[in-house]
Amino acid sequence: MRVAYFSPMPPSHSGIADYSTLLLPALGERIEELVVARPGRRVGHADVCLYHVGNDPDSHGWIVDELARRPGVVVLHEFVLHHLIAGMTIGRGHARGYLDAMERDFGVAGRLIGLGVLDNLLPLIWETEPERFPLAGSVLDLAAQGLIVHSRYVEARVRAAGYEGPIWRIPHPAWPAEHVAPADLGGDPLIGCFGHQNMNKRIPQLLEAFTLLRRRRPGARLLLVGVASERFDLDRRLERLGIGGEALIREGYVTEQRLTALMAACDVLVNLRSPTMGETSGSVIRALSLGKAVIVSDIGWFSELPDAAVLKVPVDEFEVATIAAALELAATHGRELGQAARAYAHSGHDLGRVADAYVAALEQAAGGGAVADAVLRRLAEAASEAGLADTSQLARAAREAGLV
Amino acid sequence: MRIAVCRPQVPFVYGGAEVVADQLVDELRLRGHETELLAVPFKWYPGTRVLDQAVIWRLLDLAAGDGRPIELVIATKFPSYGIRHPNKVVWLVHQFRQAYDYDRTAYGQFSESPADRATRLAVERFDAVALGEARRIFTISANVADRLKRYSGFDARVLPPPPQKLAYRTEGYGDFVLSVNRLDRAKRIDLLIEAARREPGLRVVITGEGPERTRLEQLAGGLDGRVEFTGRVEADRLADLYARCLGVYYAPLDEDYGMVPYEAFLSAKPVVTTLDAGGPLEVVHDRETGIVVAPDAVALAGAFAYLAGHLPEAQAWGEAGKAVAERITWDGCIEALLS
Repeated sequence: MRVAYFSPMPPSHSGIADYSTLLLPALGERIEELVVARPGRRVGHADVCLYHVGNDPDSHGWIVDELARRPGVVVLHEFVLHHLIAGMTIGRGHARGYLDAMERDFGVAGRLIGLGVLDNLLPLIWETEPERFPLAGSVLDLAAQGLIVHSRYVEARVRAAGYEGPIWRIPHPAWPAEHVAPADLGGDPLIGCFGHQNMNKRIPQLLEAFTLLRRRRPGARLLLVGVASERFDLDRRLERLGIGGEALIREGYVTEQRLTALMAACDVLVNLRSPTMGETSGSVIRALSLGKAVIVSDIGWFSELPDAAVLKVPVDEFEVATIAAALELAATHGRELGQAARAYAHSGHDLGRVADAYVAALEQAAGGGAVADAVLRRLAEAASEAGLADTSQLARAAREAGLV
Repeated sequence: MRIAVCRPQVPFVYGGAEVVADQLVDELRLRGHETELLAVPFKWYPGTRVLDQAVIWRLLDLAAGDGRPIELVIATKFPSYGIRHPNKVVWLVHQFRQAYDYDRTAYGQFSESPADRATRLAVERFDAVALGEARRIFTISANVADRLKRYSGFDARVLPPPPQKLAYRTEGYGDFVLSVNRLDRAKRIDLLIEAARREPGLRVVITGEGPERTRLEQLAGGLDGRVEFTGRVEADRLADLYARCLGVYYAPLDEDYGMVPYEAFLSAKPVVTTLDAGGPLEVVHDRETGIVVAPDAVALAGAFAYLAGHLPEAQAWGEAGKAVAERITWDGCIEALLS
């Protein structure tokens, strides 16, 4: 079987590029011919195409363009695709396409809201409230051969949006366990937070909770790795809360090797989110693989992680206090939590099993239709030759047994 | 109790699975159960035909027969366990191995084409559904249970079936090694013939029929008649061969179970097998009930020479095997299946 694989790849900073870097070798071992597509280059014949779709138009616009030309299996890395669609329409001077997409998903009201955005009467909703307007419908329309999702949350959202094709739920793979020399950063405890820093990541809540922790544990340090979003004034917030000096370590984009060394140095890793765009977090998976105590928000995919493997913080009026308590708990019981986290990463996110599941999905997408047609045709022929007009019972029996 | 025993039947082929099902029917009847054997012809090629066969089993209605309920269905191997019944017990001889451990090996049947890969997946899904419906799953060996767990995720209790009924006895330890096998590639009779070539004192009697016979006979040419092909033999002749042989060769590749070692043991004969033989290794233990060697002719020739030169040990290992085989009884099997 020849598979064409469409995904952002390094040096793209997309988390999906990291994902594909991890997954591709394991897929290559299991698929006869695996061709990684590049923007602007033809990949030729393929039995099935696999398209990784996320919300960043720079990383994924060309992939959706290819999807529109040739059907295939879509890996939906997040459910909210408003930024992607806006970038592929308004960003390309094709405002009408944006309005059509809004109308497709939200009716005439959606079109009117779109007009309001275009006329600067309304804020850019992919920045202000994308979770209310996920705008995934036009991509779902293109996912003719099936969808791969990473969570029950996204599966439910996709079905609620009316998608009727096959869905395979395949967990995010974990990075193989290997010994990593931790960076020498100190901190008692060292709390780490990795990724873009913005409101959605609940950074304000984390900073407040960290100040509470510092009152009880003055040796605590906070490691922030990543870049703050444009409209998020992190420096001012840090200054106002008095988080600086010995208490704070900051790093921007880091290499893969440095990232792992920094994570390995942390006692507790925090990865909060609200609202969720239906995304999984490669950062959380890395942390679990490293056997770290992890704190997440009790929302979306994060809620589906086992209670034994992570500490979950509800997004409510007690959020800051709960994060502070969770930090304290995780710092005290980091070893036990880390062991459970590593065990879960090993069992629930094993790279080999994930690759097997991908191959099964691709094989089904590539050949399942033809196989079902062949079996059902012979059943119908046999029934017809015997004078039976209604073959629905035969077809139902075959379907219930998983044969077609 | 009214019981239906289900098995697929490859026309004109009769092997271990058929023996097990037929004997099960006989033994159930002996114990007063109204029992019927349900056999449906099975053909697994070309292309997607294997799925048609599964559909056929799916469509059969065994809830009742002639207006009276059928209380228990015992299914044996793919795809007979696809039958729907509220009281379905599976005594698994094997799954469709071409979809699992044989896949992408010389013994497989599914190519890399999308249609073949999807057909293989359909077999996998069918097993998940059909075996998942069973009230209980037994397997004929730990080897089959391990595969079932590895590929389909089901736990099963190992329940080895007793060997066929023959007039088992021991009449010494003669000058020949016996092979009781269907003559196909997976049984690796060619290794036995190569071993005979390397051990000039070794005489071999090969029973059974199969597609490999002509090739094997050619391979045995030039061995001064030391290799004898008997074809399929009747029960009395088989018991006689068991009774008189030095030991029994049985080394298929990753066999599901292997009835032959039990038959050899009931004649107090040691078994020579190989490290990759699968099911037989559950009862053939090196220097306890036989000899286990690497799957090559040199090692096998050495094993046979050892037996010929150490008859008291050959006898002791055969006797030890007999004690193992005598513990497998139909009373025990039927009690488990009906529990």
